[in-house]
Amino acid sequence: MHGELSTTSAAGWLGPDPLADMPDADHRTSARRRHANRGSAVISLNLTSMIDVVFLLLVYFMTATNFKVGEELYRMDIPARGVAAAPDPFQLENEPLRIRVATAGRIDSAYRLRLEPATRQPANFEQLHEQLHSLHVDQGGWMVSDDPIIIEPTATTRWLHTMAAYNAAARAKYTNITFGAPGG
Amino acid sequence: MSDLPMMHSRRQPVRINANLTPMIDVTFLLIVFFVLVSQIVEVENVQMQLPELPDPASDTPGEEQRVVINIKPALDSSDALEYTIGSIAFPPGEQSVPAIAQHLAGLYRKNPSLSVNLRADTHTHYTWIEPVFRAIAQGAALAGDETAAARVNLVIIPED
Repeated sequence: MHGELSTTSAAGWLGPDPLADMPDADHRTSARRRHANRGSAVISLNLTSMIDVVFLLLVYFMTATNFKVGEELYRMDIPARGVAAAPDPFQLENEPLRIRVATAGRIDSAYRLRLEPATRQPANFEQLHEQLHSLHVDQGGWMVSDDPIIIEPTATTRWLHTMAAYNAAARAKYTNITFGAPGG
Repeated sequence: MSDLPMMHSRRQPVRINANLTPMIDVTFLLIVFFVLVSQIVEVENVQMQLPELPDPASDTPGEEQRVVINIKPALDSSDALEYTIGSIAFPPGEQSVPAIAQHLAGLYRKNPSLSVNLRADTHTHYTWIEPVFRAIAQGAALAGDETAAARVNLVIIPED
């Protein structure tokens, strides 16, 4: 009879029945059932809700993250003010070209420009660019690319207008462009 | 005929299991990436309206070492609210020039070829921006390194 009880349990255990020596038949049966149930128990974790939340977080961060798309740079060296460089006695001092720019209203197109020295004044940034372009030595003018250009905004000049003046000079292939102190 | 019920009884129940562990791993990595990137970008990339210029002769940002100074605009005015370098904030105007210069000098000592990216709102008045130029120049001078040059990158957006 012992041989009949040596069967495979639910857990896959093979060998002599450990319950065979138990005296009472009922006890044997119930203990065997408990043993079998314990072997087939599967512990499972329901991951569905966690994956839902994780994907929601992923979608949120993907949509909320703003990368610096489309930003560009103008590279400018700032001269140290108040620190006089040793003058070169053989070089003629180059008088800088000055662009005065002032905001004249609340709208973007409201501004005033003044170019010094110049015989005619530009009415807008496009005309400023054309004038600076025509002054370049490549176009028959008297200025080379690294001749100094100083942009002089007033204290209340908007950054847009300041940068538009800078852009007009940079587009005309000038490289030595700096900003002056805020004028009146 | 007698084989049919036997075949039916032998068929085991089919359980399809998907191993979700690698997917959860990758998903968590993506979340960590986006959380970190969004924090870094938010610190450096303060929300403002940058100057939008037509046909600019500007460059695309390179891989050079740089520090970003944001001139945060005040709400509904052309004033500045504060200057920020990373998570450090300075009050706007002349009063912050020495503090910003000292901070930048420390950065220039570590890296003399450092570039400073300047981000300012299109409506901000020049009077709030010019002190930052002076602070950058003073910072480079304070660093005491001859190779430290006050280089500033003016950040704009090209017009479509």
